[in-house]
Amino acid sequence: MRQESIRRIISICLLALLVAVFSLTSSYFLAPKNVYAFLRDASVTGILAVGVTFVIITAGIDLSTGALTALSAMIMANFLFYLPDVPVPVVCLMSILIGILGGLLNGFVVTRLKLPDFIATLATQGIFRGLTMLFAIRESGRIRNQVIKNKAFLAFSGKISSGLFYVTIAFIVMVIVGQLLLKKTRVGVYTYATGSNRKSADLSGIRTDGIKQFAFGLSGFCCGLASIFLLARTGAATVELGTGLEFDVIAAVVVGGCAFSGGRGDVVGSMIGALFMSILTNGIYKYNLGSEYHVIIKGVVIIIMVLFDAVYQRYFRSRLHSSGRKALKGKAVAQ
Amino acid sequence: MSDQVLLRAENIHKSFSGVQVLKGVNLEIRSGEVHALMGENGAGKSTLIKIIMGVYPKDEGTIWIQGKQAEINSRSDAQRLGLAVIYQELSLIPTLTVMQNILLGQETRRCGLLDSKTMTRRVLELMERFDLYLDPGEVVENLSIAQQQTVEILKSLTVDAPLIIMDEPTASLSASESERLFDIINRLRDKGVGILYITHRLEEVRLLADRLTVLRDGENVAVVEKKDYDPQKIIRMMIGKDIATSADRVAMHRPGGPVGLSVRGLTRRGVFENVSFDAHHGEILGIGGLVGSGRTEVLRTIFGADRADAGEITLDGEKIGGTVAGNIKKGFGLIPEDRRGQGFIPLQSIRKNIALTNYDLLSNALGIVNSGRESRMCDDAISNLAVRPNIPSMPVINLSGGNQQKVVVGKWMARDLRVLLVDEPTAGIDVGVKEAIYQILEGLAAKGVIVIVVSSDLQELLRVSTRILVMRKGRIFREFNEGFITQEDVLAAASGIDNSREADHE
Repeated sequence: MRQESIRRIISICLLALLVAVFSLTSSYFLAPKNVYAFLRDASVTGILAVGVTFVIITAGIDLSTGALTALSAMIMANFLFYLPDVPVPVVCLMSILIGILGGLLNGFVVTRLKLPDFIATLATQGIFRGLTMLFAIRESGRIRNQVIKNKAFLAFSGKISSGLFYVTIAFIVMVIVGQLLLKKTRVGVYTYATGSNRKSADLSGIRTDGIKQFAFGLSGFCCGLASIFLLARTGAATVELGTGLEFDVIAAVVVGGCAFSGGRGDVVGSMIGALFMSILTNGIYKYNLGSEYHVIIKGVVIIIMVLFDAVYQRYFRSRLHSSGRKALKGKAVAQ
Repeated sequence: MSDQVLLRAENIHKSFSGVQVLKGVNLEIRSGEVHALMGENGAGKSTLIKIIMGVYPKDEGTIWIQGKQAEINSRSDAQRLGLAVIYQELSLIPTLTVMQNILLGQETRRCGLLDSKTMTRRVLELMERFDLYLDPGEVVENLSIAQQQTVEILKSLTVDAPLIIMDEPTASLSASESERLFDIINRLRDKGVGILYITHRLEEVRLLADRLTVLRDGENVAVVEKKDYDPQKIIRMMIGKDIATSADRVAMHRPGGPVGLSVRGLTRRGVFENVSFDAHHGEILGIGGLVGSGRTEVLRTIFGADRADAGEITLDGEKIGGTVAGNIKKGFGLIPEDRRGQGFIPLQSIRKNIALTNYDLLSNALGIVNSGRESRMCDDAISNLAVRPNIPSMPVINLSGGNQQKVVVGKWMARDLRVLLVDEPTAGIDVGVKEAIYQILEGLAAKGVIVIVVSSDLQELLRVSTRILVMRKGRIFREFNEGFITQEDVLAAASGIDNSREADHE
């Protein structure tokens, strides 16, 4: 069986294990209401994870997603507060535009200014967070978190009659689009090529800088999209909105099978990872453990998964070499 | 089979910082032939290939591709002209499938989406045309090295009138995999593909090549047709001496000193097997063999940098463990081939580099470094080895290759050294400084240090060794313990020709 399929089965098993543990210890866990709740919790992380999946497959990293989401939300809050006559779809488009511009800025710093992804997006994280503070709505100089009263906008936090939230539907759509993009288009193949062996991709005539630019742009787009649902749910744009969100996103992508070395993983895997992280959070709260445990466990999960992937890679490589070894033994006999 | 000339390079000149590397080399490859290119290390083979592939600009000369004069200024120019190199390290995308790799950059699309049906058909047609079958959907990293090479070959066959350059393609293959590759090469030749085959291995040339160009010191020595092939003659052409005169013969001898380092049955699976030898105090034991024969790996394993799968190493009767730190304490030192990457810390000063492996001697129980002792150690090393310039604070990266190597040697000499393992002692070092390095090694041996030298430079190997082992395909193939030997003897052994049974090969 192929390495990828085995990795997929492993992440599904992890998810199933988690569901089994929580559903056996809590009768409430699999109640429809709770299921829709953790699906909603997975969705904002999951939408961001779609974009970050592309970035990590190119062997990059995007640390700015939480801050960029906050910036997009703050810009929307400004529109809704100061210009209540602007139609809601235009406000949403503004958010997505800000997201894309932020993503392209990341791509520009990485591909044109040649900064390492890690430093570049750590710096833009600061810039985006700072801009969020700059645009925060103030009264006599002090930041006031204005509650959004626009009903049409708040409707984004709603659900369809069955109980499924709109944000979850957006998440599912993004997963389908992202997976098709990755597996069925040239851009997708080139994304893998760029991350897996950049030199060779360059020599095959692939504009790898363009591919990285695209991945960051897509990640920004996802931030803009996610911020709409996040803002509608929280009902107010705070300067701390989305703090640490990039951490959840990276954890989800890593659990889903993307490798930091690039060239591995896909959007469906990251979706499983996002579900895993939200169920873990949901379960931890059910045990009445504080959010501090939640953050610690996330950190531990990232380390375990990265370690696991390293061991797993080595196992596959040694299995491959053992076939060569047999051949060498055969030769020894022949001599 | 057509006799169309695919590539002709004429009068190619190239020099690097004043040193002439190619002095008017000619090369001609026809379609449907396997053309071997041979020569010792430094003969100019790889420079020639890099010029053909557009990696280096040539100083002088002309290249024709299929009768048309070609300007090749980059790898992509070369690719467009149908030239492809299959390197020892493969350049595939490991996580993509066979099909995606073969058609990378040439995908078929329909309505913006990849048309995998058409692409699979194209790949299958290509495989059928050249009789090379693989599962197009398999991910490349799951293939064996030989299968990956097949993918690279298929990738280079997507152009018209392809010319494939293979640089030591069997170096990382097992015997059965090599045979499969030869089979593929023969099939490609029958289909009219031109192949330039670079190798050190005479038996491969005998098996495969239709013609053979021999280079020596950047000049053409001869173009040999298959019918005129004679391994002994070709070795002489490569070395450049017709008859081994007594001046070229070097005496080998078993030293009187006691056995110090004893290696028994050392094995690292897939790399080398059952390597056993003794090294005596006061001798310089040379290890010869072709690149990829496992020499470097044996050194690294003895040093503890790689793990052995089996075998035992003892030093003066004491068993040696498998950790670098432990072995350094016991008196081992390693001078690696990749000096810049592994030998020294480039931006650090001479003083810090010499002290680097010796902080156990330079610091007190609390780990505080005695900087006076550090300076003295550095000054001693600089004066003993005549490092130039003799400025302790100079970053090592700014020194010449020879002086860099002196610093690398110096850091081991400052300790109570018992075994020094040297991999390519003078790679990239000016001729004038080489002798100084040899004398340093000889001085160490005279003091009772066991020196083991791996070298691809035959002249050097004979100059510096008191005894020579020749490795071949991960095993010790021959030992030269006594009597007089020549470069030819070593090269013949490395190529698998046992001179003691010369008649077998006539």
